[in-house]
Amino acid sequence: MIHEVVERALRVASRYGLDEVEVYAVRSSTTDVVGTVRGLERVVSGERVDVGVRVVLGKRVTVQGGMVSRVEDVDSIVEAAAKVVRTLPEDPNWVSLPKRTGKAPIEGVVDPKLRVPDVGYFIEVVKYLLEGAKDIDRRAYTSSASVHSTYVERAIASSYGGPQIDERTEVGVFINVKAVDGTEESGYYDFYSSTTLSRLNPEELLSRAVEVSVKTLGAKRVDTGTYEVVLVPRVFASVIQALLVPAVSAESVQKGRSPLAGKLGSRVLSESLTLIDDGTYPGLTGTRSFDDEGVPTSRKVVFDRGVLREFLYDTYTAYIDRRESTGNAIRQAPYAPPAPWMTNVLVEPGSGDLQSMVRDLRRGIVVYSTIGEWLSNPVSGLLNATVTNGIYVEGGEERFPVKGVVIAGNVYEALGSAELRLTATVESFGRFRVPAAYIPKLTVAGR
Amino acid sequence: MLSKDLAAQVLEEVLKRGAEGAVVRLQERVYELVVYDSGVLRSYSISTVRGVGVRAVVGGGTGYAYTSSTDRESISRAIDRALSLARVAKNYGRKSFAPVKPVKATFRVEFKVDPHTVDPQVKVDLVREVNTASMKRAGIVSAITRLGLERDKRIVLTSEGTEVEVEVVGVGLAHTAVARYGAVIERVGDRESYIGGYEHIERRDWLKFAEEIDDLAIKASQARTPTPGTYVAVVDNEVVGLLLHEAFGHASEGDGVVAGASILRGKVGERVASELVTIVDAGLVEGGYPVPYDDEGVPKGRTVIVENGILRGYLNSRDTAYELGVEPTGNARAQDISFDTLVRQTNYYAEPRDWRVEELFEGVSYGIYLRGRGAMGGQVNPSVGTFTFSIGPSYIIRNGEPAELVRGVVVSGNILETLKEVDAVARDLKVTTSVFGGCGKGGQTVRVGDGGPHIRTRRIVVGGG
Repeated sequence: MIHEVVERALRVASRYGLDEVEVYAVRSSTTDVVGTVRGLERVVSGERVDVGVRVVLGKRVTVQGGMVSRVEDVDSIVEAAAKVVRTLPEDPNWVSLPKRTGKAPIEGVVDPKLRVPDVGYFIEVVKYLLEGAKDIDRRAYTSSASVHSTYVERAIASSYGGPQIDERTEVGVFINVKAVDGTEESGYYDFYSSTTLSRLNPEELLSRAVEVSVKTLGAKRVDTGTYEVVLVPRVFASVIQALLVPAVSAESVQKGRSPLAGKLGSRVLSESLTLIDDGTYPGLTGTRSFDDEGVPTSRKVVFDRGVLREFLYDTYTAYIDRRESTGNAIRQAPYAPPAPWMTNVLVEPGSGDLQSMVRDLRRGIVVYSTIGEWLSNPVSGLLNATVTNGIYVEGGEERFPVKGVVIAGNVYEALGSAELRLTATVESFGRFRVPAAYIPKLTVAGR
Repeated sequence: MLSKDLAAQVLEEVLKRGAEGAVVRLQERVYELVVYDSGVLRSYSISTVRGVGVRAVVGGGTGYAYTSSTDRESISRAIDRALSLARVAKNYGRKSFAPVKPVKATFRVEFKVDPHTVDPQVKVDLVREVNTASMKRAGIVSAITRLGLERDKRIVLTSEGTEVEVEVVGVGLAHTAVARYGAVIERVGDRESYIGGYEHIERRDWLKFAEEIDDLAIKASQARTPTPGTYVAVVDNEVVGLLLHEAFGHASEGDGVVAGASILRGKVGERVASELVTIVDAGLVEGGYPVPYDDEGVPKGRTVIVENGILRGYLNSRDTAYELGVEPTGNARAQDISFDTLVRQTNYYAEPRDWRVEELFEGVSYGIYLRGRGAMGGQVNPSVGTFTFSIGPSYIIRNGEPAELVRGVVVSGNILETLKEVDAVARDLKVTTSVFGGCGKGGQTVRVGDGGPHIRTRRIVVGGG
């Protein structure tokens, strides 16, 4: 259907005397299995087609679209866009829609077992995750577990060519484990997120969730002060996403909303930190052959041993800086305008493992999970995250679990320290492949 | 156009093909957004969501399927899929639903001017005027202004005979200003939304609204961050709304309670807050987002969650109500037809008492006045009881008076501790909603309202630079 939608929209648009037209269509099929301590709660499945039409008249631009019920629905979307665009003021920065479209070679983005999902297998996984916790530790139980699988087909075409078509699959397996011991309670959330089921190990996922949940029973606040902090890979990734990714978006930089404006070529982070944006990396969920405006995705070093080397561009922001798009146009929804954002983030590993990093702590907190890190301020660079599962370590020994404290600080000071260390082991999940990080000094607001 | 007739046909078909119970949901939502960024029109977009969702119950198993395609064949496929998922599900667990009396009702928000028929030029001119005025202000380096206009029509038919149609129209304007002072860049954003038509946009002085935000951003960029630690806090209406929503609302949702995932489970009848605190969830309240019926077609009345500090109950859908042996409260909600319902808050707020706002500051020698303008939102882990939220530029309280401004304020606390520390509640109830966002849970966002009067709490953890 999406092929027909794209071709029909272009055909209809030709009636309205527009200068440029781009049509982006996405068909997504989802299957969700959700269970709780009560048993299987929900099995949900369906499909939707969403369309975004970007039309240009001179330097006037608009995007219209939405969920479509029939191929003919695009007629009214195109008509509305053609009508609205005539009423708009010119955008002085507009040059053109992307002319250099195409596809990057990618692999590992379609799992045949997800293209046609096996609901029975998903239910078995959820059932195992719900029932297995007590066998690992009698204090633990799984309060909820779920599998979400998606198969996506995309098509894009514009006045400059196409249609280009690609497909991908995505799966997320989520688990919430609670531990109760007398009056003490704790909870831990863990997940598997990838384009394929190939690395899914339900036993490992469950045992890790049970382990953290049980070891953080009886958590309390530490005194307010300055501490060493170890962020496990998923927490480190969430800090990168909340603070560094928005700051390297060319849009933020151009609009004065990034503390990294004017700092290309400068050392802004620790020498041990090399961060790459790679839209072609196998197995990560941000991998696509082309971005959301049809430009091939690519691999680029954003921070090279702490030195800022590159910002992330879509076509619009690239024209403003008189350069080419980096293939980072991302739409929040198929019918939303594109803007530059990360594809996948890879952080180069360091040395040693998490255990030795913890043993080296003099007085610190190992942070296994946080909430609210996404509320940090990328404009000022201020990090704020509330620890929900942590362990206080003194002299290399784990002393007691911690929760309810806020870790805070300027992210560029925290990740810019010469003493920052990363582990050799990295974890891959969702759009990230990152190690654990040791930060020598962060403020902790507690008792 | 989606109609009750179509929903009735789908319902008849699901039952004919073997469902013992069913819920059919139709939805048509239009959202119009005009965005000006730093003096340039960044986007003018109109998006629609339209489709059909079917929940089928077979042998106690439930399946939900949806389709954005409304042709006969696609709907037929969705019906079959819902039935086949229900048949698979019944082998792994059966679900029961609390009985409800069938309801036949229509609710439409009254408005004078349909926001989607106003000339696009008029809308663009308004947003441009506000945005460019902001960009001219000394100290402002960037500004984003958004106009959001929404119409959401939902039809719910159930096998029990319920037929409900709800249409909500809402409008709002949001403005974010970024100010620079030396090397410090700071942002402050705020939004104001109204349930009703474009007449609300026409009445408001938006230039003044944006100017106040700009001034606050400029002052915040020159402010320091607070010293981290535990503070006595006076909390304004908006932050009280955030606090209740995050600190209490999520933990009182029945799905978390029956799953053993909420720290409030088994605590009905126990003291969970100071005796000054009464919390309700109401479908219809001035300033809030109207939810007269939920997405299972159940009337959403007024649910008392906490009464004078004692936990009285939870928010429920039909199945969590059955599990807990109580009446459903009309809190089963879905973002759109591509999701089955979850238990969600509607308009969650604290009842006022009789303090004057000024009285809350009296006797506070050192503390913080937590302000909502510029707040970014919050998050909670209901099973651990920990919540956090980022709030706007706030004031340190010295000797009973708000003194210097501080920026980058984040607060954190524990559900079972924070509200016990409330020692004063003011009389100035205020509830607000937003057409720019809402509450996120399980990958779904729904519109909510929240608020309350000013309150004072004896201790709250404040983070910051």
